[in-house]
Amino acid sequence: MPVSSAVKLCRMASMLMLFTSLVIVALPAGADNHSKAAEAHIEAMIGSAKALLATDSGDLAARTEQVTDLLDTYFDFPGITRFSAGQYWRAASVTEKQEYELVIREVIIGTVVRNFDQLKGLEYSHVASTEKGSKLVLVTGRFSDAMGERPSVLVNWRVTTLPGKPVKVLDIEIENISMLVTQKQENVAIIRKNKGKFGALITAMRKKLAS
Amino acid sequence: MRYSPRPAGPIVTRATFTFLLAAIVWSAVSGCSSLPESQRSDLRDPFENGNRKVFAFNMGFDTYVIEPVADAYRNGVPEGGQRAIGNHVKWAGMPSTAINSALQGKAENAGLATLNFLVNGLTLGFVDLVEDDTPIIKEDFGQTLAAANVPEGSFLMVPFLGPKTTRSFAGTIGDMVMDPIGTLAGGGNLQTVNQLRTPVAVVDFRARTFDAFNDVKYNAIDPYSRVRSVYYQTRAGMLEDRVRSTIGASESNDEFDDFFEDES
Repeated sequence: MPVSSAVKLCRMASMLMLFTSLVIVALPAGADNHSKAAEAHIEAMIGSAKALLATDSGDLAARTEQVTDLLDTYFDFPGITRFSAGQYWRAASVTEKQEYELVIREVIIGTVVRNFDQLKGLEYSHVASTEKGSKLVLVTGRFSDAMGERPSVLVNWRVTTLPGKPVKVLDIEIENISMLVTQKQENVAIIRKNKGKFGALITAMRKKLAS
Repeated sequence: MRYSPRPAGPIVTRATFTFLLAAIVWSAVSGCSSLPESQRSDLRDPFENGNRKVFAFNMGFDTYVIEPVADAYRNGVPEGGQRAIGNHVKWAGMPSTAINSALQGKAENAGLATLNFLVNGLTLGFVDLVEDDTPIIKEDFGQTLAAANVPEGSFLMVPFLGPKTTRSFAGTIGDMVMDPIGTLAGGGNLQTVNQLRTPVAVVDFRARTFDAFNDVKYNAIDPYSRVRSVYYQTRAGMLEDRVRSTIGASESNDEFDDFFEDES
């Protein structure tokens, strides 16, 4: 082998090694950034929720408005909408999708508003973060009752870390019960009971909201 | 208080009686017909029509009996008393956890449950004397059957007992048969405590989950399918020892994996 070819080969090998080491160094850093961003997002959300609880007067309209702002800031409503409709999302018409987006949002806000009092007196502490691929981080935390009257519960926040998009919460899992999976399975059951009609779900949701 | 051993016969009778009562009520209200897959709202639920009738029956029973009692209990019984009753309910489940942990080869959990049962037995479990923070993970015979690869079977809504699968229902019967407290409770005060165990446990559970339970019961669009979903998720977590343990993070969740695959 000529000397020049050997030098070229060495250079290429060095470049390849440098590139590989850069990739090795860069990958965990990126992954770590995802975890850090997700954790910071949850901490910020808990801070906002605490501030809301501290100023909550019990007025339903004011609480609904504040909770809506909180959810809009920290939650991935478009993702929640698509996920909760299951496999029927793709088959839904544009109008149905638009209607569903509004109605599921109202259902979720209503659920949080109704149960907001249960957060009073709870302290949150971070436990761990787990990368689930490049798009999702599972942030685990614990809610403990400051008075010790209720047992502490582990909570998993599913936080989306999609490229080019802000970090948002997709799901909350409490003691292995995912709020989003539960909503999806309920929705899918309603659609299946109505022979696959997506509109039946919207009608059922509207009826419940009106009651 | 007497600790006279009781022959196996009456315990089997209690389990058989519970099973027969549930089966009779289930048959009466459901009709037991299996639905074709296309008509099920969940493929795991072939007896959905019957199950929904039983669910309506259970919710009626809850409305007129359990909910008012649980409401009175949580508002009338002082916090300390509720904690003591909660401790007793947990303690009474320790033998089942010890036996089933041993059957599944979970020696540490079996040991912890046995120790807890023996130590707290001094107060019949009303006072928690064990100062160990290591969580004892609840194990039942349904989980033992799952560990032995017995198929899960169909979803069942059992009168009074609520959601089950055929496997977990069989496990409930197994736990009743193996219950050592029932064996020891020959008569007197201990027997009275033993007889009150199930209703007390039901009221304690209902009181502890009062708001969450009522939110599903009164605000869900389809409470039946919501209860079914919650049951399956809780059960899956128990099978992986993730409920009431220090392990919080799900190792995998196909629903979310599929979602992101579809999105990309």
